[in-house]
Amino acid sequence: MASWLKRLGTLVAAVLIASPGYARAQSAIELFTPETVAAAGDIRVIGVDGETSWLDGGYGKTRFDTDSTNRGFRIEPQAVEGDLIWTPRFSWSLGGTVVATAQQGQDNAVDLSEAFLTYKPLLGGGGKLTVRGGLFWPPVSLEHTGPEWRVRDTITPSAINSWIGDEVKVAGLEAQVTRAIGGGRLSATAAIFGLNDTSGTLLAFRGWALHDQKAAAFGLQPLPPLNAFMIYAQAPKTRPVIELDNRPGFYGKLDWAPTAWLDLQAFHYDNRGNPEAVTPTLQWGWRTKFDNLGAVLTFGDWQVRAQGMAGKTLMGFAKNGRSWVDTTFRSGYMMATRNFARGSASVRVEAFGTTSLGSKLGRDWSEKGWALTAAGRRDIGKNLSVLVEAMHVDNRKDARVFVGLAPDQHQTLIQFALRLHL
Amino acid sequence: MLALSSFVLLLGAAPPPPMVGVSVAVRGPNGQPIANAVVTIRLVGRATPPARAGAGYAVRQQNIQFNPFLLVVPVNADVSFPNFDQVRHQVYSFSPAKRFELKLYAREQNRTVRFDRAGPVSLGCNIHDQMTAFIYVTDSAFTAKTDASGNVSLAGVPQGAVTISVWHPYLRAPGNQVSRQINLGDGAREAFTVVLRMPPATSSSY
Repeated sequence: MASWLKRLGTLVAAVLIASPGYARAQSAIELFTPETVAAAGDIRVIGVDGETSWLDGGYGKTRFDTDSTNRGFRIEPQAVEGDLIWTPRFSWSLGGTVVATAQQGQDNAVDLSEAFLTYKPLLGGGGKLTVRGGLFWPPVSLEHTGPEWRVRDTITPSAINSWIGDEVKVAGLEAQVTRAIGGGRLSATAAIFGLNDTSGTLLAFRGWALHDQKAAAFGLQPLPPLNAFMIYAQAPKTRPVIELDNRPGFYGKLDWAPTAWLDLQAFHYDNRGNPEAVTPTLQWGWRTKFDNLGAVLTFGDWQVRAQGMAGKTLMGFAKNGRSWVDTTFRSGYMMATRNFARGSASVRVEAFGTTSLGSKLGRDWSEKGWALTAAGRRDIGKNLSVLVEAMHVDNRKDARVFVGLAPDQHQTLIQFALRLHL
Repeated sequence: MLALSSFVLLLGAAPPPPMVGVSVAVRGPNGQPIANAVVTIRLVGRATPPARAGAGYAVRQQNIQFNPFLLVVPVNADVSFPNFDQVRHQVYSFSPAKRFELKLYAREQNRTVRFDRAGPVSLGCNIHDQMTAFIYVTDSAFTAKTDASGNVSLAGVPQGAVTISVWHPYLRAPGNQVSRQINLGDGAREAFTVVLRMPPATSSSY
C-alpha cells in the first residue's frame, strides 16, 4: 500500500518539476520581499548649548537647541527619524525607490521623502546608462548614501549637504551615461526638473545651517524672524517642493575618476525660477543657480572628501536693477575619514558665508561662519550602528540684533545616535 | 606484414622530446609579487597540445563580489555561475572571446556557460557596478596563473623553442600581454618584470 503511494508521489513530483510553470516560478517582478522592504530608525541623546535653533524659529545653525529660559548646556534624548524604504523590482532593468519618512520637528507626522523609478538597461560594449524619473535629490552630496539618503560617517552633514537636504529636492528626469576611458571612468549626468522653485529661501533668510532635517514632499521648513518688509511679502514657512512658474530647471554633472583612488566632480544647477512669481500663500519663485566641485581621494583605509559650492539666488521685483533678495552664497568643507573593519572615524572642517545685497534684504542678512566636526561610527551586526559626534559652529550674522541677540553666536552640539536598519 | 608495418610506423614517428619543467616569476617594477598573472607556453614550429577540459569550473557570486577574481579554463569548458547572495545579479560580458548575459535570481545555482573560444573574458554585473572578474580561456595545455607570491610552475613542457607569454587584466602593454621566445633546454626559470595600471575605477556611489 505504502510503496504504490510513494511511486504515485514520485510521479506527481516528476510531472510538476518537468512542467514549464515550475521552471519559471521565479518572476522578474519582486514587490514585497525581505530584500525590497526595509525600515530604518534613528534615536539620539543630545547635548547642546546656544541659541534657539532655526527649526524653532530662531537663527541657530543646528537642529537642536537649549531651553529658551536656560541657555546653559543641556542633555536629553530625542527620537529623530523613522523611514520606510521600498525598493521594488519590476524587471531586470526597471526598479523603483520609495521612501516614507517620519521626522521629528516636521508638521506632517509622516511624509514622502523620495519616489522614483530607475531604468538601467544592459548596453553593448563599454557604456552604461541609468535613467531616473520621479522625486529625488540631485547627485551633489559626497556624504550621503543609500536609498534613504542617510549620512554615512557622521550624524550631521556639512553645511553644503545640509542645504541640499533641506530645500534642494527636485522632481524630474535624469540620465547618466558612464564610459570607461583609458584606465578610468567618465560619467556625464543631465537632468530636467521642476518643483524646486523655492530653493534659496532658507539660504537667504536663515543662511547656512548644519542639520539633518530633510525636505519632504508635502512639508514646510520654518524661517527665522523676518524684517518688516518681508513679514508681509514672504510666508513664515517655506515649502521646498513646489512648482510656481511652469518653467523647468536643469542640472548637469561631470564625474571623472582617472584611477581607483581619485574621483573629481563638477556640478551646475539652475532652477530657472521666476523671481517675480508668487502664490496666494506668499511662496515666491526664486532664481537659484550654483556650482559645486567635489573630490574624493582614497588611499588604503583613508578617504578624504571635499566639496566647494558657490551660487546666487534672486527673489522678488527688481528696484533700480536690484531684486528684493539678491544673495550670493559660498561654502567649502574638507573631511578626512579613517575606515575600520566595522566602522569609521571622521574629522570635518568647513567655512560658509553669504552676501546679501537685495534691495529689501540688505547687508545685515549676510553671514560668515565656520564649523568643526568630529564623529565616529561603529557597526554592530548587520542591523545596528552607533554614532557619536561633537560639532562646534561659530558664525556672525548682523540680522540677529533685530531679535536682541548678539551678531556673533557659537554653539556646541554633542550627539549619540543609535541607527537601526531592518 | 605486421612486422613490416610496425617497422614503418616506428620509422615515421619521431621519438618524443624530453619534457621539462618551467618556473616563471612575475614581479612589478619594485620587485613586488604579481598574482593573477596568466602564464601561457606555446611551442614554436610544433602544435601546442590543447588544454583538456576538466570539470567543476565555477565563478561564484557572494557578498556582492565575484569569486575568484581570475579563473583559467580550457576551451569548451563549462563554467557554472552559482549565486550565493540574497539579491539577483545580472552577469554579462562583451569580450570578443565570449559575449553573454546571465540573469541570476537570488541563490540560483544551476546556470552554466560554455566558453568555446580562446581569449580573455571580462565579467561585470549590470546591477552592482563594483563587481568585476576575468575568465581566461586557453587553448594551450601549458597555462596557469601566478599565486600570491607571483610564482607559477608548469611541468611536462617539451624541450625546444617555446614562447612564454604573461597576461594580466591590468598589464600596461598592448593586448595586456608580454611575450618572449626561449629555447627550452633542461628546464627554465624565467622572470618577468611587468608594469600594471591602477585598477579601473568602478562606478561612483555618489
